[in-house]
Amino acid sequence: MEFTTVVFYFFAAILLAAGVRVITARNPVHAALALVLAFFTAAGLWMLLEAEFLAITLVLVYVGAVMVLFLFVVMMLDINIERMRQGFWDYLPIAGLVAGLMVVEMVMVLGGERFGLVAPEPKPADYSNTRELGLLLYTEYVYPFEIAAVILLVAIVAAIALTLRRRPGVKWMDPARQVKVTHEGRIRMVNLKPQKPESKTE
Amino acid sequence: MQATNFPMPDLLPALPEIVVLVMACVVLLVEVYSKSRAAGYVLTLLTLLAAAGVTTFTAGPDTAYTFSGMFVDDAMADLLKLMTYLAGIAAVIYSRQYLADRDMFRGEYFALLLFAVLGMMVMISASHFLTLYLGLELLSLALYAMVALQRDSATAVEAAMKYFVLGALASGLLLYGMSMLYGLTGTLELAKMAEALNAGVKSELVLAFGLVFLVAGLGFKLGAAPFHMWVPDVYHGAPTAVTLFIGSAPKLAAFAFAIRLLVDGLQPAHGDWQQMLAVMAVLSLAIGNLAAIMQTNIKRMLAYSTISHMGFLLLGVLTGTFAGYSSALFYVVTYVIMSLGAFGMVLHLSRAGFEAENLDDYRGLNARHPWLAGVMGILMLSMAGLPPFVGFYAKLTILQALVGSGWLWLAVLAVLFSLIGAYYYLRVVKLMYFDTPHAEAMAPAPAGDARLLLSINGLAVLVLGILPQPLMALCAYAMQASLQ
Amino acid sequence: MDMKTLYLVVPLAPLAGAIVAGLFGKAIGRAGAHTVTILGVLVSFLASLVIFQDVLAGNTFNGAVYTWLTSGDLRLEVGFLIDPLSAVMMLVVTFVSLCVHVYTIGYMADDPGYQRFFSYISLFTFSMLMLVMSNNFLQLFFGWEAVGLVSYLLIGFWYTRESAIYANLKAFLVNRVGDFGFLLGIGLVLAYFGSLDYAEVFHKAPHLADQTISLIEGQNWLVITVICILLFIGAMGKSAQFPLHVWLPDSMEGPTPISALIHAATMVTAGIFMVARMSPLFELSDTALSFVMVIGAITALFMGFLGMIQNDIKRVVAYSTLSQLGYMTVALGVSAYSVAIFHLMTHAFFKALLFLAAGSVIIGMHHDQDIRNMGGLRKYMPITWITLLIGSLALIGTPGLSGFFSKDSIILATQASDLWGSGFAAFAVTAGVFVTAFYSFRMYFLVFHGKERFHTAHAGHDQEGGKDDDHHGHHHGGHSTPHESPWVVWLPLVLLAIPSVYAGWAYIEPMLFGDFFGASIFVDSEAHPAMASLREHFHGAGAMALHALMTLPFWLAVAGVAAAWYLYLVRRDLPERIRQRAGILYTILDRKYGFDDFNDWFFAGGARLLGSRLWRWGDVTAIDGVVVNGSARVVGQLAAIVRHLQSGYIYHYAFAMIIGVAALVTWFVD
Repeated sequence: MEFTTVVFYFFAAILLAAGVRVITARNPVHAALALVLAFFTAAGLWMLLEAEFLAITLVLVYVGAVMVLFLFVVMMLDINIERMRQGFWDYLPIAGLVAGLMVVEMVMVLGGERFGLVAPEPKPADYSNTRELGLLLYTEYVYPFEIAAVILLVAIVAAIALTLRRRPGVKWMDPARQVKVTHEGRIRMVNLKPQKPESKTE
Repeated sequence: MQATNFPMPDLLPALPEIVVLVMACVVLLVEVYSKSRAAGYVLTLLTLLAAAGVTTFTAGPDTAYTFSGMFVDDAMADLLKLMTYLAGIAAVIYSRQYLADRDMFRGEYFALLLFAVLGMMVMISASHFLTLYLGLELLSLALYAMVALQRDSATAVEAAMKYFVLGALASGLLLYGMSMLYGLTGTLELAKMAEALNAGVKSELVLAFGLVFLVAGLGFKLGAAPFHMWVPDVYHGAPTAVTLFIGSAPKLAAFAFAIRLLVDGLQPAHGDWQQMLAVMAVLSLAIGNLAAIMQTNIKRMLAYSTISHMGFLLLGVLTGTFAGYSSALFYVVTYVIMSLGAFGMVLHLSRAGFEAENLDDYRGLNARHPWLAGVMGILMLSMAGLPPFVGFYAKLTILQALVGSGWLWLAVLAVLFSLIGAYYYLRVVKLMYFDTPHAEAMAPAPAGDARLLLSINGLAVLVLGILPQPLMALCAYAMQASLQ
Repeated sequence: MDMKTLYLVVPLAPLAGAIVAGLFGKAIGRAGAHTVTILGVLVSFLASLVIFQDVLAGNTFNGAVYTWLTSGDLRLEVGFLIDPLSAVMMLVVTFVSLCVHVYTIGYMADDPGYQRFFSYISLFTFSMLMLVMSNNFLQLFFGWEAVGLVSYLLIGFWYTRESAIYANLKAFLVNRVGDFGFLLGIGLVLAYFGSLDYAEVFHKAPHLADQTISLIEGQNWLVITVICILLFIGAMGKSAQFPLHVWLPDSMEGPTPISALIHAATMVTAGIFMVARMSPLFELSDTALSFVMVIGAITALFMGFLGMIQNDIKRVVAYSTLSQLGYMTVALGVSAYSVAIFHLMTHAFFKALLFLAAGSVIIGMHHDQDIRNMGGLRKYMPITWITLLIGSLALIGTPGLSGFFSKDSIILATQASDLWGSGFAAFAVTAGVFVTAFYSFRMYFLVFHGKERFHTAHAGHDQEGGKDDDHHGHHHGGHSTPHESPWVVWLPLVLLAIPSVYAGWAYIEPMLFGDFFGASIFVDSEAHPAMASLREHFHGAGAMALHALMTLPFWLAVAGVAAAWYLYLVRRDLPERIRQRAGILYTILDRKYGFDDFNDWFFAGGARLLGSRLWRWGDVTAIDGVVVNGSARVVGQLAAIVRHLQSGYIYHYAFAMIIGVAALVTWFVD
């Protein structure tokens, strides 16, 4: 067995175990951490395929940004684990049956020989995966790339539209206005006429 | 640096998409700086009209590819895009008063609507798995947000959540299927995939396996059973204006999705997907028609009716013949027109603080508003498939194509379920004409523009029923020009 | 005027009336609404008259007036086939419709939906005319569905009543069964003949006579037989033949003019007309003809029995209609199509007359429909009395009146037939004569003769309720004397009484034995000699009437009248005692052979079960009011099990999707 094959099975085994952990872990924080592990091992697998850029991006974006944010949210929210897990055991038999069926079928159907694929030749050391990707992305794939950008824009618009709401009567500060304050705005000079103390109509 | 000799793609075929994208951004910006709430509304209408103008201008029988074969502009795309604009315009006009009454009359709504339209246009013009998928995601994301836009409504938020989670699942299935086919053929481009499949694949088993996932994703988008569960809940929970939109234009895009995917790309695997579609069609017809009978909420009822209509649509596609495709195109175009009218009526009869969404609200409508009741009656009878309305021809041509390609038992089943389905449409007619109205008078929103459009919409269903030939010929022509 | 224009005028004039009265009802008011619709039908009637004369002169027409669309080889068009058969139908439809329109002015005088009602009956007239004038199957089906729709809507015209809703739903469901067969039949015609045009189909029919189709493995059927039986199933639904007859008696919940126009004279005869029109097809299949005949015979006899025990005046007439429709169907079965159409015509006149007269009695009795509460009305309603008597005499086949000629011809033709089952049919139609005479005169004696019971009976009437034709609940306490109806009500009675008397005498010779129908009806006289034998024995109308005095049917009719007279005028106590003696028999008749119970249990219950399986428990209550209660608890338990399907939980939905994928994978991959 070649060394890369050993590495592949090593990562693959961890990936599967981590994946199972994500859905079985009792504590949501543990589940999120298992997901982080899954991402790491997936990145390792991609490395084996010489997709260095994608592997690093996966770690940077998903582990570095998305999962950290996710962990924050999970930790801050008070999630009632018991309630979330209600019914888990009720559905387990049927769900397990369906899952088992799918696994059996996938094992039957999916195999390298069925796709007729051959492993690509290893690229020389000076080959830049990143540049090739960039070249493709900005030439041949420019149209999907632009659409992906629009999707992100929509995501931003949607997130803002759904979360930004001005509740009436909420106390808040506007630093810009605080800075711009002048003395005319703060003090109003009123010319009061002297009045007799007994007139209390003011 | 290594020099590339990449030619500038021809942008002309994609001009309508560019117009809509730019204007969607403009609408967003105008919303920030403009005091007027109506600016977004007017701009959206103008945008859709301008896009319609551009599409009409560039329409023709020729098929043009651009962006390295990822974008296709053919006659079917032109026709479907024009219908999409039309549906968008109708949705905007119908929902103006409704949105204004519920504090949703904002730039975000219109920008999202334009982005959704853009997503549909991308899907309609896709000739590559990647663009198909991205267009679908663009459309879906915009729709999720639109459903949730009425933030104070718990049902709307719940509906959005369901739509989002299930949509994500469906996307996952779709991507998985696409990856199988990529592995099998080594390409994502639809035309090349057809070539590769024609040349023969290593394993028919993997092909069928991947197809199942693709068809499942497609079924979700169409709302066909057993991937229909989201439809009633989302139609019911979403604000009616959004339901109107979801229930109309995206069906056109979903139809294009089906044709691009199954016909342009996977025609060689026709024997496999035909049977899958047959299963889904039969289930949809059964579940849609039977469950609709039990509904008391008209939005839910129309949701189940959508499921059954999509079953009918699938019947046309699964024949795998030119007649089947063009009849399915005709079916989807007419269905969108009817659906716009029906939801438009629900919107028109709603007012601030009152949703005309229970069937009971339609009791005795004729006594108070005979004209509106007449229009609604026409729409319901047409949906039921009674002559001389256009719904009849839509069903007839599909049945004809089915029988023509030897699916007699499916045709018989379809007729049987249509007859059952006629009951719940006729019940609405019965409620409007024969029941005494509730004490609380139903006052439609004072929107003259919507009322005018509703009248045109209803009459269109009648006129198209009396003179179906031109539209039918147009659909056949568009299909012919696109499939050669 | 150009004849083609005139053909168009016939259906379009009532349509114009319907549109004006329907859309501008409020603007033109009550008088405007009835003027415009009556005018429309009058124009249509006059045009039909001119066309009839023209057809008699030998001018027929078959062609398209408007093409809807052409799709491949299929051409869908609106076309007219004007020949003696359609000309007769047009005349009957427009004439009865005209009478009913006039009558409605009086009958619906106080109804808030006055304009709407006129609009609907005009719309119905339009649809019916399109049906009979059609030259292709598609238009036939269009007319078929349109008349069904209007009928369905009109049965439920008074929607405040639970029973009307129920009747309405029942009519709809039962007709679905028939329509399904009809549509399949049309589909088979299209599949095998490649055309929907009558002329083309009939032309090709003989070439297909020997082709077979295998519905069940190893069982080969003649294609023609399958097509004919399917088409006839459609006719069974529309023309209320056993066992799809159950909706017709309940349809009496609709206003009386509707009962006369739709459920007696025209719509229910559409099935008879259709089979006669399809005679070139039916002639090719002895099996189908036998089927038609046996169904007709069962309907003719057994529905007549039910008429003998009804107490609601409209239901008596309704069961009589069922029985007479059975007679017509028998005539079709023995290939005596012209006799069936002849009986259809005479029946349209006298049955419309009976219904309208019954309606007049109902008005006179202040919307009480129970014949036990009537009696001695002769004095108070002389015109209604005379006309109803004429109608009844025509119905039972008094020699010389119209019903005699048509009904006796049916009996003779049946006796002359040698198809399988004709013996039973001959017995049924002959025995039916006694039954007909009995129930007709039972009603007649109870209503117009004997003691005046309305003074005493009214006190208990309010409790019985239910059968009351009175929709806006105007209260009528105490007792008031019946009175003759206004002229708009009795004028149509008189108008209808005229053809009820003379139509048989005048037309039997040309219609049955001349070549009046020409090519529009095809009979293979070698295979089905009934008609030829009838022709052989016919020696003029007068001779036939005289000869009848010596035949069994006449004496059976006399016996029926006499029995009714003895039981209901002389020995009033006897019926009650018979009822007690013949307990089981009476119960069977009273429960209408159990058909309604069976339908409640099987169709209504079954449909609900099916629907509920797919929807959750809460919504079942929505239709509980519509469908009779019964299996609610079972449904509830089942629904509780399957409500998980649309439970509202995301994970259920997601799980359903996954299961769907897994099932598809399992199916297609292995």
